[in-house]
Amino acid sequence: MSGQALTMKEDDALYVNVGRLTRQLHDALRELGYDRDLESAVGSLPDARSRLSYISRLTGEAAEKVLNGVDETKLELAKLSSGAIEMAAALRKDPVSAVASGKLMCFLGEVGQSASRADAQLTDIMLAQDFHDLTGQVIRKVVALAHSLETQLVQLLIDSTPHDETDRVEATVAPVQAQATAVGAAEGIRTDDLDGPVVSADGRSDVVTDQAQVDNLLESLGF
Amino acid sequence: MSNENMKFLIVDDFSTMRRIVRNILKEIGFGNAEEAEDGQAALSKLKGGNFNFVVSDINMPNMNGFELLKSIRADDELKGLPVLMVTAEARKEDIVSAAQWGASGYIVKPFTKATLEEKVQKILDKQAK
Repeated sequence: MSGQALTMKEDDALYVNVGRLTRQLHDALRELGYDRDLESAVGSLPDARSRLSYISRLTGEAAEKVLNGVDETKLELAKLSSGAIEMAAALRKDPVSAVASGKLMCFLGEVGQSASRADAQLTDIMLAQDFHDLTGQVIRKVVALAHSLETQLVQLLIDSTPHDETDRVEATVAPVQAQATAVGAAEGIRTDDLDGPVVSADGRSDVVTDQAQVDNLLESLGF
Repeated sequence: MSNENMKFLIVDDFSTMRRIVRNILKEIGFGNAEEAEDGQAALSKLKGGNFNFVVSDINMPNMNGFELLKSIRADDELKGLPVLMVTAEARKEDIVSAAQWGASGYIVKPFTKATLEEKVQKILDKQAK
């Protein structure tokens, strides 16, 4: 065994000391009421995780919708472009036949239909941008959770600091607190009881998941 | 009044959503629309603004959509205005509250062009009777 290594006896004594200190810290936190604050702060983390998953899912779905819409619109435009080239060639070769055979009218009809399909795709692409509103509301909630967690941890740090160190610690955390407050204000953090988007409807009977359920609910109440 | 002349006020704190609603309204024939970023700004625009229809979000800073709805219904000049809520709030109690406070319709986000068109038309049909 190396001379620098702890002996087994010293090892045990160290663990006992660490255990005792942990117990003292726990008791002190409980006496000061911080165990509940910490519990509530930690309890908010799964909520933040599920909100972040929702943001990830929604942004992914929106990107897919936009890319699919772009692919289909480009296909329509490519068909129009090659159709126009063929039509121009037919008109140059034999204009009378191109008109008389109905080729020209048929092509013009296809142009109209294709433009309508492209317009519908562009509307879908526009609607897919609603993710900005939906995820924005959820991001505000996550920022509020982080803000609350940070405030509680900073307060714990200040209150558990020895008196002669308080001024130094407060001076260190003051800019952090100021920045957190500024971010909170910029993000429009509010503490009202509105829920915002439902990030997971699993096991919930108090929420609707689509427009048909809204209509049925209102109809059942006579509205 | 023709659709083109009807004046809409779109209220939402997200400019992207205001733009989406405005574009869809234009596509379905209602090209005359203004925007407000929250209930407070909406109320000051509505006063003397000759609006015919309000499309409002609920979760907004300063004054939320519920407070805006209640203010509209309590105001002699504005109380007859159709107010369509377009919101991510999906709790049944919020939907019922909106109806009890006088909302003319309720759409949950995300929504489709067909849904917005159907609800606006339904409200206008009901108003015309």
